[in-house]
Amino acid sequence: MIQILPHSTLLRYVYNELPADERRGVEEALLHDSELATACADLLLAQRTLDGLRREPRRAATDAILQYSRTFLAR
Amino acid sequence: MDLLQPSDSALISLYLAGQESAFAILLERHRSRVFTTILLIVRDEEVAEDLLQDTFIKAIHTLKSGRYNEEGKFAPWICRIAHNLAIDSFRRGKRVPHVSLTDNDRLASSLTIADDGPDDIMAREETHNHLRALIQELPAAQKEVLLMRHYGDMSFQEIADATGVSINTALGRMRYALINLRKKMTANSQYYDPNITPFDPVTLCVQRAAS
Repeated sequence: MIQILPHSTLLRYVYNELPADERRGVEEALLHDSELATACADLLLAQRTLDGLRREPRRAATDAILQYSRTFLAR
Repeated sequence: MDLLQPSDSALISLYLAGQESAFAILLERHRSRVFTTILLIVRDEEVAEDLLQDTFIKAIHTLKSGRYNEEGKFAPWICRIAHNLAIDSFRRGKRVPHVSLTDNDRLASSLTIADDGPDDIMAREETHNHLRALIQELPAAQKEVLLMRHYGDMSFQEIADATGVSINTALGRMRYALINLRKKMTANSQYYDPNITPFDPVTLCVQRAAS
């Protein structure tokens, strides 16, 4: 089947930016369009890979922020 | 969205009413995305932590002084502050960028949240290290959109507004950023996750809904 959805729509879909009616339309299309599904899979794969880079600051860094806020309150 | 969780806006109201614990929740909620955004720009964990503190201190000043615009969303606002501070810092280049991959605290943290063995953790770290390097190679405009959308949690429209381009341009930059990353990852196939198999469309819907 010919892919009729633009990539921009798919991008907004995987990032949860589409309104409900458009989202349902994409999900319906995914069921019937293997090329579209593959393109969507690529985006989801990229998302998952990028998620792996998320890092946390050390607790000391955030504790210092909280301390600053408490001190600021007391000024 | 979890309806049991107070919104950012509600937390800000509580914070301004004197509830420090509300700010602690806000910080807990956003620290990872802000820190990651900064780290991917400055590539130095100590600098990134300093800038994380600067970012939230700026936020505290703005909030406490009554200059925060309630119409805006907190996540894109704080990430925009972080992004600007990180870019400024990186341009000043006062420190040699490096990402410590052997930090004992972080490695210990990884070990506690994963059941994988040391080899798996090392391999994953190697993949992530390589991906960070590939992100640095992206054109600046693509990298900016990638960081703002994926780690800063800004919508494409918010990115367009913040960077002075159309939403289609922002979407196009994101698309090419992902295409470029994929090409680079595939070209360096030893870093590519071999466990990924073609998706079934039905599964795709379930995965996305659960994300």
